[in-house]
Amino acid sequence: MKALNANISTMSEVSRSATPQSDSPAQAEVTPEVCIRIANFNAWYGSFQAIHNLSLDVPRNQVTAFIGPSGCGKSTLLRWINRMNDIVPSANSRGTLMIDELDVLAQTTDVVNLRRRVGMVFQKPNPFPKSIYDNVAFGPKLHLYLSRAELDELVEWSLRKAAVWDEVKDRLHAPALGLSGGQQQRLCIARAIAVGPEVLLMDEPCSALDPASTLAIEDLIYELREQYTIVMVTHNMQQASRCSDRTAFFFEGKLVESGPTQDVFTKPQEKRTDDYVRGRFG
Amino acid sequence: MVALLALCALMTIGITVGIIVMLIGESWNFIQSKYVSLSGFLTGTEWTALQSKDIEKAEFGIWPLLSGTLRVTVIAMCIALPCGLITAIFLSEFASSRVRAILKPTLEVIAGIPTVVLGYFAVLVVSPSLQFFSGGGFDTFNATSAGIAVGILCLPMVSSLSEDALHAVPRALREGAYGLGCTPFETAVKVVVPGALSGIISAFLLAFSRAIGETMVVALAAGTRATFTADPREQSQTMTGFIVEMIKSENEYGTVQYFSLYAVAMTLFVITFGMTLVGQLIRRRYQEVYS
Amino acid sequence: MATDINAPVDNSDPPAASGYPGGGYAVSTDNSSRRKLYSRLFYLLCVLISGLSVVVLGVLLVSIGWQGHSRLTWDLLQNSHSELNPESSGMWPSIIGSVFICGICAASALPLGIGTAIFLEEFKPASKPLRMLHSFIQLNISNLAGVPSIVYGLLGLSLFVFMFNVFGRIQVNESSGTELFGVSHYYQVLSLAGGGHTVLIPQEDESQKTIKIDEPTQAVSRDGETFELAIWDPASGQPKPSDPEVRKRTVRKGQGGGAYSETEWYYLRLPFGKSFLAAGLTLSLVILPIVIIASQEALRGVAPSLREASFGLGSTKWQTVRHVSLPAAMPGIMTGAILAMGRAIGEAAPILVVLGAAVAKNSGPQNLMDNVVTMPVLIFNWAGRQQAAYQELAAAAIIVLLAVLLLMNSAAIYLRQKMRVG
Repeated sequence: MKALNANISTMSEVSRSATPQSDSPAQAEVTPEVCIRIANFNAWYGSFQAIHNLSLDVPRNQVTAFIGPSGCGKSTLLRWINRMNDIVPSANSRGTLMIDELDVLAQTTDVVNLRRRVGMVFQKPNPFPKSIYDNVAFGPKLHLYLSRAELDELVEWSLRKAAVWDEVKDRLHAPALGLSGGQQQRLCIARAIAVGPEVLLMDEPCSALDPASTLAIEDLIYELREQYTIVMVTHNMQQASRCSDRTAFFFEGKLVESGPTQDVFTKPQEKRTDDYVRGRFG
Repeated sequence: MVALLALCALMTIGITVGIIVMLIGESWNFIQSKYVSLSGFLTGTEWTALQSKDIEKAEFGIWPLLSGTLRVTVIAMCIALPCGLITAIFLSEFASSRVRAILKPTLEVIAGIPTVVLGYFAVLVVSPSLQFFSGGGFDTFNATSAGIAVGILCLPMVSSLSEDALHAVPRALREGAYGLGCTPFETAVKVVVPGALSGIISAFLLAFSRAIGETMVVALAAGTRATFTADPREQSQTMTGFIVEMIKSENEYGTVQYFSLYAVAMTLFVITFGMTLVGQLIRRRYQEVYS
Repeated sequence: MATDINAPVDNSDPPAASGYPGGGYAVSTDNSSRRKLYSRLFYLLCVLISGLSVVVLGVLLVSIGWQGHSRLTWDLLQNSHSELNPESSGMWPSIIGSVFICGICAASALPLGIGTAIFLEEFKPASKPLRMLHSFIQLNISNLAGVPSIVYGLLGLSLFVFMFNVFGRIQVNESSGTELFGVSHYYQVLSLAGGGHTVLIPQEDESQKTIKIDEPTQAVSRDGETFELAIWDPASGQPKPSDPEVRKRTVRKGQGGGAYSETEWYYLRLPFGKSFLAAGLTLSLVILPIVIIASQEALRGVAPSLREASFGLGSTKWQTVRHVSLPAAMPGIMTGAILAMGRAIGEAAPILVVLGAAVAKNSGPQNLMDNVVTMPVLIFNWAGRQQAAYQELAAAAIIVLLAVLLLMNSAAIYLRQKMRVG
């Protein structure tokens, strides 16, 4: 990632100066470099406006958690970052959504390459009904021309990265649906990072899992942020506080507050945030 | 009351048993005849049950009828399977609700058209068109026109059963594929179709067995000459076609020709029942379970 | 990594530091435009092939309409088939025949099918052997749905037409099987009244096909009135009675008579022979699996909470079925039933096997044991003829048949809509 960062540093100067609000006591020594810049963003499903005029910067190599009650637009925003909402016919959006210099919402943007660059992990583990190996190799086979040995190497790397290699290395060709829920979800993370994304979007990645698997995934997320910019939607306050660096609180399609996780949870600026993180509603 | 309902349900087993007993019993009469041998029936390549005036000279070999059935069925499947599957993919993956609102009723109407009407259509339109485009290379009655009509008949069945199977594939899998950067084509072909494979194969087998058992279309459009060939331009009497011709000829009960009807029907039943059974078992055994 | 992902990716910048082993290759391949082209081509193929079915249906309807419209006259609807005069041939008996056969078919297949569906859906057994039987019945029904209809025709032939020859065989002028009721056998004898007037003498021995009158005997008039039949012997020299009323009750000595049967509409015999009753029952075998599967789906669609509510009020299983599940599933069951009847109306092969290919009948059925012609069989017969007139008649008859089907399907759609609203 060093090379990558170096390459981007020139242009990120611009975005950094545009986002002065991200300084925080917890990470005072480094000003986070912006990876995803969202400005004046609106989104609709049909005539229902799900997101109102939202602006937010997501810093590179950090975990940003989106929290808020159901229907507050956090998942909608997440699904716009890799244009997943393209497959929803009634979904519509306007505003600015940039990943580095790439205008995500532009008509000309190649969604295939966009999604390769922005991986996604879903609420319920959704491995394909294929073998473990084929699940991980699926993405690389689409995008890359690899020899068998290179593919093997990539699959192993991804599975190791997703901390599931030790559990599956003896049964790579067994059906993925035979794994436990937590293993399936880590497999899905391996599948996502096998195509070499920069950003990982996680839509409530632990909501369908038991507590032990949840902890394993949270640890994994915490480690992965060293190489990936991670945006995570969660309903679980503890989860947000445990494994995110920054937190954004959404309410009724609007961004109420965002900042370093510790600040949002301990000294929120807004009363609604305070009520929500204390569990008064939602 | 429950006993009465149970009786209704057991009746359906009674029907299967009835079919099997009837076919075996009457086929036994056929095999017992001194003009017929079981090996001759199973291996013979000549079928002249109705053409020979003299019973001594009549040949009872099933292969001409089987080859006729296969010719028609293969042509039908060449149309119904790819078109049906692609239509199903279109309906389940791409079609907007407006297009669905046209396409679904169209397929339902085609599925509801009586087969005798499609047979007439084969004679009225398909066969003359084939002759026109091939410069007369086809017989008036030929395997191809019958096969095309049977294909049209099987298409809605393939598409609706396949669409059901495709629908059962969870949306999460499609999103997973899109999330990895699949194009819609790749999502459909590499994830959704494999995910519905058991249902699709079962649909294919059901369509195949339907085509083999199809009667009225071949009775009208495939001709009455039973030949052991692979030429789709020739007449091709099928097993069902022979049964109809036999019924039309009004042979008396008890003649060898009459019993040959049941031997042919037995062959037909074994093939179609076997295919349906395999299709059902595949669907039950290999059905992808999505939690 | 390059900032514009649409541009060809820069080869010199593998993100090696991340340890991503695909990196080196990733940057060298940009295949997305080709893949998107494939996707677009595939979409086009889908549209074309799906459109094809619409085109085929259009061609079919237009060609048949074009071929048959000139014959779509009242003659077609009122007359019966004529071998000699295709110009005035019609399909009236076949319409009546189809209605009668479908009536029998519905009356037998619907109760049986719905009953089976209720049993399979509402009374799921708990014990292991019964569960296996249950699942076997289910598999068997799916298989029956795949049996070619012509095989059902042959089953109908053995089961209903011949009844495995258990009750004897029906042969014209020889044996009429085992008759149960609705028929009286007579000898028909010419009376002295002339003009073809006959009297009927009840048969005592049915194997005796003719009679010779030598002495006075009991007879029945056409009005059903019994009287003593007088004999006039020309050889005796007595004058022939002059009173017309007496003449009607008198026959010449030695006058012969042939067998004659009078049947009521409920005439029933075993085996059924080539009768519309046999054809209707055969068709009911064909549509039984369809009715069962459709009814099962309708019952499965009833919300479990409805049943639970009923049980919660203390209803028994049967009361729940009778008052909750069945009424809730009724629209779905009826829709399935109508679609199955549509299938039955258009089915030709089994009827052809059971009743034969003859279409000469010029009226509807007179009794349960009477032969009929149905629309699909008539269409098959006409379509197989060479004369252009019959070809056109076939097309016109198809239009009528399709109109009937359209009517039935509209009824089904109407029911479905109503179900959604309710």
